[in-house]
Amino acid sequence: MLPGVASVDLSMERVCGEEPGTDAYPREKTRIKQFGMYGSVMSRYVIELEGVTVRKGGRTLLKRISFGVPQGECVGIIGPNGAGKTTLLNVIAGFERFAGKLSLFGRRESWKLNRRTRLRIGYVPQRFQVDPAFPILAFEAVVAGSIGRLGLFRSPGRQEKERAMQLMEMMRMAHCADRPLGHLSGGERQKALLARAIMQEPDVLLLDEPTANLDIAVQKEFMDLISEIYSRQGLTILLVTHDFNMLPASLRRAVLLNHGETIFDGDVDRAMSGEILSRLFQYPLETFDRNGKRFVSYD
Amino acid sequence: MIEHLFDAFAYPPIQRAAIACILCGASCSLLSVFVVLMKMPLIGVSMSHAAFAGAVMGMLLEINPALSGFIMCLLAAGVLGPLSDRTEMTPENVLGIMFSFFIGVAFLGLGILTRTKANALNLMWGSLLSLAGWDVAVLAFVTLFLLFFVLLFFKEIRLVLFSRRLATASGVPARAIYYALLFLTGAVVSSNLATVGGLLIFALLVQPGATALQLTYNLKHFFLISVASGVGACVSGLVVSYIFDLPSGAAVVLMATIIFGAAYIFSPKRGAAKLKKGSTYHEDDGR
Repeated sequence: MLPGVASVDLSMERVCGEEPGTDAYPREKTRIKQFGMYGSVMSRYVIELEGVTVRKGGRTLLKRISFGVPQGECVGIIGPNGAGKTTLLNVIAGFERFAGKLSLFGRRESWKLNRRTRLRIGYVPQRFQVDPAFPILAFEAVVAGSIGRLGLFRSPGRQEKERAMQLMEMMRMAHCADRPLGHLSGGERQKALLARAIMQEPDVLLLDEPTANLDIAVQKEFMDLISEIYSRQGLTILLVTHDFNMLPASLRRAVLLNHGETIFDGDVDRAMSGEILSRLFQYPLETFDRNGKRFVSYD
Repeated sequence: MIEHLFDAFAYPPIQRAAIACILCGASCSLLSVFVVLMKMPLIGVSMSHAAFAGAVMGMLLEINPALSGFIMCLLAAGVLGPLSDRTEMTPENVLGIMFSFFIGVAFLGLGILTRTKANALNLMWGSLLSLAGWDVAVLAFVTLFLLFFVLLFFKEIRLVLFSRRLATASGVPARAIYYALLFLTGAVVSSNLATVGGLLIFALLVQPGATALQLTYNLKHFFLISVASGVGACVSGLVVSYIFDLPSGAAVVLMATIIFGAAYIFSPKRGAAKLKKGSTYHEDDGR
């Protein structure tokens, strides 16, 4: 353990208790329960987790995670490697078995999501590898996002193809349309997968470290795209990342995870404090402001 | 020699063999697309050994070996999907375990069996000229069913082959499509055992798809090239075996390999790969 780090209690009560005025879910929910309004107010959350726990191979990957995300909010799920960020996203995406309660769009869900619910959730995976010889073009991969919504016996028509091309133009990758997906650069491929997810016309967008392994310029371009999509389409976005210096401008709330537990849930500017981040990453970190934006630095 | 070849087609066993050969090439090469793109080459040999084990067990229990082999093949397909999904093992590892298990079961049965083992062993070698009309009818039904399945669910199949996870995330019934493909693999393998046998079917389940992989980025063309090369290998192999009096199974496999070799040599993808490699920036280039 590094000197001067992690000697402080990181429990949720402690950290959230230090955040007066934030709309952190656990505090608000407690207050609502006291006034007997719990049921009627619940519907304002499009994503709601209560005591979600995931155990795998004798290890507990998530421990009683509880939080809610209102419609149209952009939330960062942030933490070091192995914190449980991807597991949490997998629970919401319907890829992971869990104990506890998950409600999406006001409906209680099992780990295998209802098909209608699933159609409302767009998903962009991390470090998605494609065999360069695999027979799928970038344009076809984007159009494929509409397949679930169309149903079993309908094929994508002119409308879907035009929309796919519009999305590729918006992502500034229309020139890649006729190239095999496996031949695209990492950034182009991630943009194609983002376009595929938007093609699904989702209400919620789940992004699992979408800029992992990309260079800084491409990361910045990708995050700007996310902000653009957020402002244009008003989606609810959950973004998993461990890079505080590359957060989209639209991101206002941060849920910090470590060892499968929520250790902070609140305003992202408050999360960006050297003290909290040092505890989170178990490494001495400092923050500084530049051009009105906060950055993280380390020795 | 060519005249003799046409004369031979007047005989019903040769006619059945020719029809079965085309159906075998078509069904195996359609399936080959899934085998190659899902990277599961062991599935053919595992399924054929499941059928072999089933046939041996059928003989022990005095059931029709072809029927028990078919049932065992479908059971193996039914176990493979859920087992790889629930145990977090890769399908290839599950196939490896299943393959060795079925060999063990088959050899155990052969050891116990006191009667002739020819019926069971025929499933490993196949016998084109001794096919019954019923064998060809079953093969035709399975081939048509597979073709119908591919045509009906083409867009879903494309997404499942690309990524089961993304297919699931898109609201496609990926698990159902994947399991259906596994069942169809079991059905195709077991219905082809009488034709080419369990050992040679491995080549027909890999080579046509591998040939198409060298030539196209379009999945529709991929299916067409795979079927053309599979049927081409079967027909040309049969003709060559007749003309030069060679074993038909070996001739079919060698023709499939020659077709793959030609596709590899003339592959436009290799040219594209070289171009990409050639355009790589090196630090020395800046000097």
